[in-house]
Amino acid sequence: MENSARRPFSSIAVAFGLAVVASAGLIAQQKPPASVAKSWTLARTPDGKPDLQGIWTNATMTPLQRPPNVKSLVLSEEEARKMELAALERRDRLNEPSDPNRPAPPQGGDGSTGAAGNVGGYNNFWLDPGERVAIVDGQRRSSLIIDPPDGRIPARTPEAQARQAARAKQAMGRGQYDHPEYRPLAERCLLSFGPTTPLVPNYFYNNNLQIVQTPDHVMILMEMVHDARIVRIGGTHLPKHIRPWMGDSIGHWEGDTLVVDTTNFPPQQNFQGSSENLHVVERFRRVDADTINYRFTVTDPTTFTAPFTGEIPFKAMDELIYEYACHEGNYALANVLSGARNEEKRLGTKQEK
Amino acid sequence: MSMRHIIGAVIVCAGLAVAGRTVLAHHAFGAEFDPNAPIRLQGKVVRLEWVNPHTWIHMEVVRDGKPEVWMVEGGTPNTLLRRGITRDTVAVGTEIIVDGYQTKDHSLKRANGRDVTFTDGRKLFMGSSGTGAPRDGRDPTEGGTKPAPKKPGGR
Repeated sequence: MENSARRPFSSIAVAFGLAVVASAGLIAQQKPPASVAKSWTLARTPDGKPDLQGIWTNATMTPLQRPPNVKSLVLSEEEARKMELAALERRDRLNEPSDPNRPAPPQGGDGSTGAAGNVGGYNNFWLDPGERVAIVDGQRRSSLIIDPPDGRIPARTPEAQARQAARAKQAMGRGQYDHPEYRPLAERCLLSFGPTTPLVPNYFYNNNLQIVQTPDHVMILMEMVHDARIVRIGGTHLPKHIRPWMGDSIGHWEGDTLVVDTTNFPPQQNFQGSSENLHVVERFRRVDADTINYRFTVTDPTTFTAPFTGEIPFKAMDELIYEYACHEGNYALANVLSGARNEEKRLGTKQEK
Repeated sequence: MSMRHIIGAVIVCAGLAVAGRTVLAHHAFGAEFDPNAPIRLQGKVVRLEWVNPHTWIHMEVVRDGKPEVWMVEGGTPNTLLRRGITRDTVAVGTEIIVDGYQTKDHSLKRANGRDVTFTDGRKLFMGSSGTGAPRDGRDPTEGGTKPAPKKPGGR
């Protein structure tokens, strides 16, 4: 069963033109460790479908896109081990005590970049990023994206570039702080700050999910932000004008693989700058006692010049999901809005002078 | 390309190489806190709000000879709960030092907990690796270069 489950997969991979994983066929033929092969048989639900239920983590240090200077999808064992050790050494370094006589941080900001906005964030101990390289079919991966072969998201269309520019301009405008509903969905505790589909990790924390199955439905609960996506088995998509928060997911089984097709995303959601035409196909395949191989293909002709595909191992967890129970406006949202009011007053005073 | 390049590039892309000892949160910290209002607070914990999306530590400090209660923003409690750390791990009355930036609305006594430590400089909690993925001892890197404390943060 192990081989029959893997063979079609490796054929598909080769068909996708992954010259860079020329060794995939060989690896797929390799037998899993004896202990795993002996102890694991694919569990099935009462209706005979593979049992995907349980609590899983998609946390990994393997980035979505391959760094431009890394040529190969597959890392050597040594390369992967060094990356993992570097992450652990960094954690140890950040655990070191600070100077108890340290002064307040620098006036004008501490030099942080990105969304932290020059004021830093908070201690590393709050974080739980993936500290393992993703391993799929025995390969240690340098990127989650496997196709195109360079592991990069394909170029955006001119239309998508214009849309991105318009979104960026809107986000820079002062109006963004004029109303709580102008704030991003995550800040308002409505949806995770990672995409709900596909299930790529956020590289910060709580990259955990639970799958519950019935013959008619599959529920995928992401810990962040308690996002429960309900997949209908069979049927057709909703009319185009109906746009649920997480899009509309319908599923079917192809052999022992669960295939989920999602469209009808709302305008407030996007993945990597996608449009309302975003279409995601996900494939869930249980490959051993501890692992679901998760594969996703993203298509959006009005955003990306070509589709792209990625793979992520979901590893079984021996812990429960904690309720995330996001409290909308847990001070931060109010602080952001009142901060903007304060800023307006300050600037107003300046102008009057 | 050297190994160093591979490691560096992959880590950067994974979003792990954040500046200094502090990290980015789930909302716009730059919109919430004022880079021109750095602050250092020292005082006793009076209350912990162990809620999502952000933990808040309330502490009493003395400024200009008067006691004030300040609130300090931290991260999600879920990651700490997985390490066995609850809001009872830090007792009310524990003295801590915080450096951060005050909210843009200066009428609020609130700041981000850029670095939160005990008075001897030790971090209030310890970061640990692992996401619940199975650990079977086959991987020599399991547990990190130093043993990850099970119940960090305590004395």
